[in-house]
Amino acid sequence: MKVLKFGAVWCSGCLVMKPRWQEIGKEHPWLKTEYYDYDKDKEMVNKYNIDKNLPTFVFLDKDGEEFLRLHGEPSKDKLVKIVLENKDK
Amino acid sequence: MFKKLAKIFLVLLVLFFIAKPAFAQKKQVNPVRESELSNGVNVYFFWGEGCPHCVHEKPFLEELKNKYPEVKVYDFEVWNSADNRKLLIEVGKKLNTNVSAVPFTVIGEKYVSGWLNEQTTGDAIENAVECVLKDGCRDVVGEVLVSQQPQPQKEEPCECEEEQKLAIPVKISLPLIGEINTKNLSLPLLTVILGGLDGFNPCAMWTLLFLISLLLGMKDKKRRWILGTAFIVASALVYFLFMAAWLNLLLFVGFIVWVRILIGLVALGGGGYNLKEFFTNKDSGCKVTGDEKRQAVFEKLKNITHQKQFLIALGGIIVLAFAVNLVELICSAGLPVIFTQVLTLSDLPQWQYYLYMLLYIFFFMLDDLFIFFTAMLTLEMTGISTKYSRISHLVGGILMVIMGLLLIFKPELLMFG
Repeated sequence: MKVLKFGAVWCSGCLVMKPRWQEIGKEHPWLKTEYYDYDKDKEMVNKYNIDKNLPTFVFLDKDGEEFLRLHGEPSKDKLVKIVLENKDK
Repeated sequence: MFKKLAKIFLVLLVLFFIAKPAFAQKKQVNPVRESELSNGVNVYFFWGEGCPHCVHEKPFLEELKNKYPEVKVYDFEVWNSADNRKLLIEVGKKLNTNVSAVPFTVIGEKYVSGWLNEQTTGDAIENAVECVLKDGCRDVVGEVLVSQQPQPQKEEPCECEEEQKLAIPVKISLPLIGEINTKNLSLPLLTVILGGLDGFNPCAMWTLLFLISLLLGMKDKKRRWILGTAFIVASALVYFLFMAAWLNLLLFVGFIVWVRILIGLVALGGGGYNLKEFFTNKDSGCKVTGDEKRQAVFEKLKNITHQKQFLIALGGIIVLAFAVNLVELICSAGLPVIFTQVLTLSDLPQWQYYLYMLLYIFFFMLDDLFIFFTAMLTLEMTGISTKYSRISHLVGGILMVIMGLLLIFKPELLMFG
């Protein structure tokens, strides 16, 4: 599975989430994540239809199919739980 | 949408100035004529409908009339009568004082501003009456009332200077000097809460965050600090200027009932919007809106910060801070307008109005200051969590609805000091 993280330099919540994801990445090094800037990476923003709240996190399975989307600032515990539950997807 | 709102506001403002004289004409009250003025002691009582301090002074004045048969009380309601308001301003000029609130009681050449209780303000009024009975004084209000045919003035100046000093009860109840009651604490508390609520919007600090991201890429530490500080100070200044202009407009137009009601309606509208946001926008995070505007500001900020000439960069950042904040202000002027209205309802010296505005702005800017100083000191960008935005919408919404209702139906509960 893979997590696409959509954020922006002007988005306060995105800055709050940055260290949270860094910690998760350190604890679970197998996890693949990609970061896209809302203003710069328009192709991905349009592809995944990011038009609501930032930050947005799109969870993809191994076939690249989206199975979950989260907005705002989910807690680290919640994210870890989702990541572990869907590790083999 | 905001352009539409701005247009509606402008139309209302124009209507207000056109309609004002008509409204004022409706309730012309001119209860005293020269021939009606008594030769005893004339006590002129300026009051406002719905003002609780005025209500407390009235029975005292009734008793005063019984105690001193020479006393005659003339009352002037100033919030509904433009004529009486003009008279009060004129009397204030004659007495060399800035009349900013009611009740305001004039006895001969002496005046008592506000009402605390019989032991303080009441005593001051009685002393003034006795002084006039003993020495005789000019009847300042009487002179203004019959200014076309001035009454013969007594040459000798009024004595009892000591009592005159006592006759300013506002000074007795000043915070830090006199006894501190809950009302003295209420206004600073309200200022802190409203300023904090108004400022707490992590999504509204996008310009600052973008600027910080550019500043952190600079090598010159001094330039980083100066440009960032200039942006913050200019942003605060825009807010201060707006609030000061609004305050002075409200003080200039005076105590007009329907201006207060209009602002009460604005508060209800703002409260409703905040509550709607609380119930409908359950996700935290920042909504993505205004792409074009944001891109345009980003480009300008980039150009400005990359300017080689420091002074041009500094000037550019100040101009941009003014422009961006002015636009933001039009969209979120609700709370500062309500707060300014509450300030004018309170009986405060001029300098305190500005002090309260500065306190409001400090708490308004607190999250910006935190973000800026943290970034400048640690060289890393920090964000403020948006998860409390919903709570801020709820608390702000409830507070605005309450204040709106109070402004419309019970303004006396918002009169502090």
